[in-house]
Amino acid sequence: MRRSDLGEFEEIVLLAVAALSTNAYTLTIAEDLERETGNVVTTGAVHAAMQRLEQKGYLRSAWGEATAERGGRRKRMYSVTALGGRILEESRAVRNRFWERILPAVRMEWN
Amino acid sequence: MKSKPRSADQKSDQPPRWLTLCLEWLVAPHLHEQVLGDLHERYARRIQLHGKLNAQRRYFIEAMSYMRPIFIRRQTNEYHSPFFLSTAMIKNYYKIAFRNLFKNKVISAINICGLALGILCCLFIFLWVQDENAVDHFLADEETLYAMYETTTTNGKVAGSYAAGFVLAPGSSRISFALEQIDKVIPEIKYQAYYATGYELPWGHPETFQVGDKKIKLEGSRAGEDFFKIFSYKLIEGTPETALKDIGGVAISRHMAEMFFGSPGKAMGQIMRHENRADFKVTAVFENLPRQSSLKFDYLFNWEAQKTKLEFASNEIRSYLKLTQDSDPVKVEAKINQYLATRLEKKKGIQQRAGLIPFYDQYLHSTFENGKPEGGRIEYVRIFTGVGLFILAIACINFMNLSTARSVKRAKEVGLRKVVGSSKISLASQFLGESLLFTFLAMLVAVAVVLLLLPSFNTLTGKDIQVPIAKPSFWIFLLALLVVTGLVAGSYPALYLSSLEPVRILKGVVRFTRGSLWFRQGLTVFQFTMSIVLLIATIVISGQTRFVQNKHLGYDRDNLVYIRIEGKLAARSNYLLFKERVSKLASVAMVDRSTEAPHDMGFSVADAVNWEGKEKNDAVYFSPASVGMDFVKLMNLKVVQGRGFSKEMATDSTDAFLINEEALRQMGMKDPIGKWISAWAKKGHIIGVLKDYHVQSMHEKIKPVVIDVKENEYFGVILIRTKPGKTTQALAGIGNIYKEANPDFPFNYQFLDQEFNKLYRSEQVIAKLSNLLAPLAIMISSLGLLGLALFSAEQRIKEIGIRKVLGASIAGVVSLLSKDFLKLVLIAICIATPVGWYLMNKWLQGFAYKIEMEWWVFAAAATLVMTIAILTVSFQSFKAALMNPVKSLRSE
Repeated sequence: MRRSDLGEFEEIVLLAVAALSTNAYTLTIAEDLERETGNVVTTGAVHAAMQRLEQKGYLRSAWGEATAERGGRRKRMYSVTALGGRILEESRAVRNRFWERILPAVRMEWN
Repeated sequence: MKSKPRSADQKSDQPPRWLTLCLEWLVAPHLHEQVLGDLHERYARRIQLHGKLNAQRRYFIEAMSYMRPIFIRRQTNEYHSPFFLSTAMIKNYYKIAFRNLFKNKVISAINICGLALGILCCLFIFLWVQDENAVDHFLADEETLYAMYETTTTNGKVAGSYAAGFVLAPGSSRISFALEQIDKVIPEIKYQAYYATGYELPWGHPETFQVGDKKIKLEGSRAGEDFFKIFSYKLIEGTPETALKDIGGVAISRHMAEMFFGSPGKAMGQIMRHENRADFKVTAVFENLPRQSSLKFDYLFNWEAQKTKLEFASNEIRSYLKLTQDSDPVKVEAKINQYLATRLEKKKGIQQRAGLIPFYDQYLHSTFENGKPEGGRIEYVRIFTGVGLFILAIACINFMNLSTARSVKRAKEVGLRKVVGSSKISLASQFLGESLLFTFLAMLVAVAVVLLLLPSFNTLTGKDIQVPIAKPSFWIFLLALLVVTGLVAGSYPALYLSSLEPVRILKGVVRFTRGSLWFRQGLTVFQFTMSIVLLIATIVISGQTRFVQNKHLGYDRDNLVYIRIEGKLAARSNYLLFKERVSKLASVAMVDRSTEAPHDMGFSVADAVNWEGKEKNDAVYFSPASVGMDFVKLMNLKVVQGRGFSKEMATDSTDAFLINEEALRQMGMKDPIGKWISAWAKKGHIIGVLKDYHVQSMHEKIKPVVIDVKENEYFGVILIRTKPGKTTQALAGIGNIYKEANPDFPFNYQFLDQEFNKLYRSEQVIAKLSNLLAPLAIMISSLGLLGLALFSAEQRIKEIGIRKVLGASIAGVVSLLSKDFLKLVLIAICIATPVGWYLMNKWLQGFAYKIEMEWWVFAAAATLVMTIAILTVSFQSFKAALMNPVKSLRSE
């Protein structure tokens, strides 16, 4: 199963890239993740995850524009590849199937 | 990377610089832009949201998150590139190096010759310095052996000397010495022994030993009983305890034992007749002293045997100590001085102190400054070490210049290697390897030449140096020399060539930056400065040496032979008979005698001379001599006032004194003729004043001299003036007469001019060495200039072509190319002149009589170097100017 290739943090980063669509680079992703999860997320952690994702072929990147607030450095913009998209879909399907199998009674117990 | 915005406001919002630098160093370069950009941006945002402090704290956490392998790992090259020190690569480097070596035979030869010359100088200097340093370093327990020196302060003037006899009550019949019991008084001193030698001594010349019919003259000394306990000279027969215990005993060398008895074993207990006066029993035989021993003796008597004679010699008695292990020489020194203070007689205005110096240091530190042993041969060791290093530096600079000069040709190779994937390190190591190869070849040449020239070198320096093949220090030195020279010589080309940018090289644009040009020009100026300083030194040193040897001494030293008076000749009638017989020889001009050899009248005593009108505190150190009636005539001395001795004047043998002008000056006398004077208890009148003449080497000022005639004392030397060109004949004749007149002593004579020249032996060595080194340095420097000229011609080859096509004359092109270099040489001359003047002025201070450093010395040095430089450069410039412009311009 492909699923084993994708770590939990990687998956969430991949999702964030997909969600941010045209404005996905390390910094925005880290900030997004911080906002959504409430945990401290360093750019280093995100960057590392994205490098792995890129190696696996789930992400691709290209140089973006340079801005003054980056000290004149360019951004590296990320987008999800078709393979990445399929993996995300697959992983979502797996989860959905499990969700559907959970008995309402069990879910009652959690709340 | 584009430049950062630089407004003052934003600058204060920069993230902590050190962290950024850390990251830059740590994170792989290909990630820099992204990582640093992200951090920078986040930092900027956080400042606005949370304030600066918070932003900085978080920046730190953020930076830490990059400390993981995935960021640190450098991007690997897509192509495989072998490790730069792999065998395959090294093979390749050497292949290329050898190809280059043979491709440019001329430049390779220049390069290897230059380096070989530099290494050659270094090797010779190393051998010499090592030999100097090895002196006295063969003794056991050397760190506990000390020589004593004496610091005497007379009316505020401080003088130092190794003559540390500390004689008590000189002049009395019983001589005693202040240090005699010192090893009993001071527990740190295990043994103390006096040692007496030196030319001032009555026995400071060869003495005759006789066994049966064998009569041989040898040089030896007297030493205290514990001498062999202090110094671990190897004893073949006898023990350190008994060797010098007996007053009637003598310890002799293996050499001496073999000469007289055939073997050391047979010598023990045998009787030897000394100076045809007394018999001594051989109590020990010691191994021949090693060459590295600064003490030289073929025999040693017990000190006590002739102690009464020591009164004369009190200023040449040395004292050696062996301390207990771990004792502090400074404390011992203080204790000795305490002890001396209680024993030494108090003299007004004179203060004597003892000092200690490690025994092995006394050879190199032979002269005194402020009463402490500071100067001496150590200065020559230092100077030559410096000169060696400088010459090596000059040679290395050459290599750099020549390599960079060739870099125009090598640049293509560098570019290609880089494009194919060579790293900077690999290129640098290639060039370093090449320079190591060149250095190695140069070293082979140098070592071969050293082996070839070592005998002549030994003759030159008066040493007996062998190449110390067995010593690891020699090999370590060679290896170190190889590595250092190779790396230094190769460093600049390696760094320079490996940093060339491949794109520009392959496009055919090799431009040298201003910095690199300055650097090379600086090196050239340095080279020439050194060479010119050496040249100035050579001119001054050889000038001074010539001056010293040719200066008129105030007497005529040619054709003058002297013989020591000994044995039967010491009796008046025998001496007179001998004199008469020798005078009759057709080849002899004149014969007379003197108590001191005329070039060696250093012996001087204050208080021994009184004169009419002497003030109480006048302490004048006179050099005394008692001579025969004909002395003044024989020596060709000039009488400026009064007259010389005369046989016709009956009183001259009892009453007459001659003094020299210096004596007159110091005595402060006017109209000296007829005034009374007394010297050594003999009173008389001054009958004449002699023109000043040198009684010692030129290092010393002319001393006041007082001369008288003593008809009843016959010791010292017989002076014989032979007729010009008849010396051999004369010596044969004198030898025959001598054998009859003094059968118990071998005939032994010295030539005054030779003995005189021996006083300047170390200056002669220096003169000869610098005569050798200066041309070498200039040669190496000129090679370097040639290299630069080559370089420049190659750089400007197209410019020259265009100029020629447009009608420039050959002379114009030559001057165009030459003037830049000559400017460098001019600058070097400007720097070298004051430096040379300063150094040589310092050296000349060591002489009481010296040449003036005249302007022509510097002019001559400058002209010579300039001429050599012009010749070197213009040769290359002509070659460039004569080249067909079609050839150089065809490629475009």
